[in-house]
Amino acid sequence: MATSSDQTVGYGMVIFAGMLFTYYTVWVIILPFVDEDHLLHAYFLDRIYAIAIPVIAGSLVLTGLVAYIGMIQMRSHKPKIKTT
Amino acid sequence: MTKLLQWLTVLFLFLAVWLGLVTNHIPVVFSDAAKEVVYFLPIYLLMAFACYSLAVIGYRVTTFNDCVQAADELKQEIKEAKKDLTRKGFVFT
Repeated sequence: MATSSDQTVGYGMVIFAGMLFTYYTVWVIILPFVDEDHLLHAYFLDRIYAIAIPVIAGSLVLTGLVAYIGMIQMRSHKPKIKTT
Repeated sequence: MTKLLQWLTVLFLFLAVWLGLVTNHIPVVFSDAAKEVVYFLPIYLLMAFACYSLAVIGYRVTTFNDCVQAADELKQEIKEAKKDLTRKGFVFT
């Protein structure tokens, strides 16, 4: 069974994903239709960051993943001692 | 048609329509605000997919379950195999 800490982490991920999706939707889809001087604009960064942050975060994650997989591969391809 | 091919087809269809809209080859008149939204659609879809993936992983972590019956079955089979092997002269150390 998933332990209670697993469940906390899992629910946390679901809630975080939902909040991120909601925030991003308001930012990208709804904000252009809101007047320039509306209060809502105070809660969001400039529109250019709606592209910059995902792209930078994505590249960082991708770089990390590739480096990690590369490290694992190199470690598992060490010359093995023959046993026969 | 594999699942991959299906997704690729949908992706390319979407990209074709989107490129057509952005480069004005498909003559649809948008307001300035709607144009902003159209420009952001691909990266928005990417973000939506990322959020969906994260939510699915979280949900699966939450509802991860044991296979009690399968574990019992496996133990039973190990026991039987051991018995059988002992009968045939195998010595467990």
